[in-house]
Amino acid sequence: MTAPAAAGQLEPVPRNVGVSPPVPLGGSPQPHAPLSTRETENLRGQHAGFASRLAAFIVDCAVSIGVFMLVLSAASFAASVLTGSSIHWSRDSTWVVVAFFAWEFLYYARFWTANGQTPGMLLLGVQVVGQDGSRVGSRRGLVRTLAFPLSFLLLGLGFLGILLGRDHRALHDVIAGTAVVYCWDAREARLRSLAREGSGRQP
Amino acid sequence: MESIAQGVAQRVIDLVVDALDVNMLIARIDLNVVLARVELNSLLQRVNLNEVVKQIDLNEVLDRTDLNQIVDRLDVNKLMARVDINQIVSQIDIEALVKNTDLGSLMVSSASSFGTEAVDLGRSHAVSMDDTLARWVSRIRRNHTGRAEPPELPNAPEEP
Repeated sequence: MTAPAAAGQLEPVPRNVGVSPPVPLGGSPQPHAPLSTRETENLRGQHAGFASRLAAFIVDCAVSIGVFMLVLSAASFAASVLTGSSIHWSRDSTWVVVAFFAWEFLYYARFWTANGQTPGMLLLGVQVVGQDGSRVGSRRGLVRTLAFPLSFLLLGLGFLGILLGRDHRALHDVIAGTAVVYCWDAREARLRSLAREGSGRQP
Repeated sequence: MESIAQGVAQRVIDLVVDALDVNMLIARIDLNVVLARVELNSLLQRVNLNEVVKQIDLNEVLDRTDLNQIVDRLDVNKLMARVDINQIVSQIDIEALVKNTDLGSLMVSSASSFGTEAVDLGRSHAVSMDDTLARWVSRIRRNHTGRAEPPELPNAPEEP
């Protein structure tokens, strides 16, 4: 069972419901075709592709690094106000590196264990779910966060599965038993777009 | 002689018909008995109903019909229970409806903003790129793995 969606968040993909009917998660993907009306109807629950996931990751990098820098700046400012001497953070500092990786771990672990969506994923309309379409859960979310760096450490080969695999699953997905699916209502978006087009034409 | 007799008969028939009060005659006939002896089915088979319907002025018929009375006698609930609403809805072109009616403006004003538009656009582009990448990959994979050896022709002529 899935928890009700929190305000402002996308509704989580329910277990075996909302997943595109002809493509149960873990099954073979449909042949890809250009985005059309028919395609958008069946988009929800399909395995997300490389571009969407990369875009989501870039947004997450920007957000997480931005917040980290902001916190460091705030700490530096607070120190200068309280003690009169400012702190200069250096990328070579071990503490900064450790704090950065700890922060990144917390960032992804928090969002993946909560509802399978980081802010970047929310923006791009993709979501981490269990291999069978169920909620990702704390354990799988945590394992995924721990396994995530592995895909980088293997010279990025861990991400090849997204491009070449039938289910578009990366190494950390395979290890954690998860998958990334589209969760946005493309049909609704198309209707909104048509409505804008129609209202633009009307006097 | 024969023509004289025919003329006399014609004249007699005219006199008899003129003397008859047809309305009174019809009033004395039990039409139900007559109708009971008529084979209506075979009669209807011989009637071209389309021709009959063509000659009916439906507007006039409808003008003279009290539709309210008919509707009052209808059991609408029973009627609706027999209607497959889903089938009707599936026949509606919702996209055309949204595009060409005020419903679209309503949706735009109630649910859309510049941010939503940008997000929708970004997501659509990302999905299009996903599809493009997937097509490229599938084409490359087919080129590498799917190229079959040419079949060996039976009784191929030997080259000189």
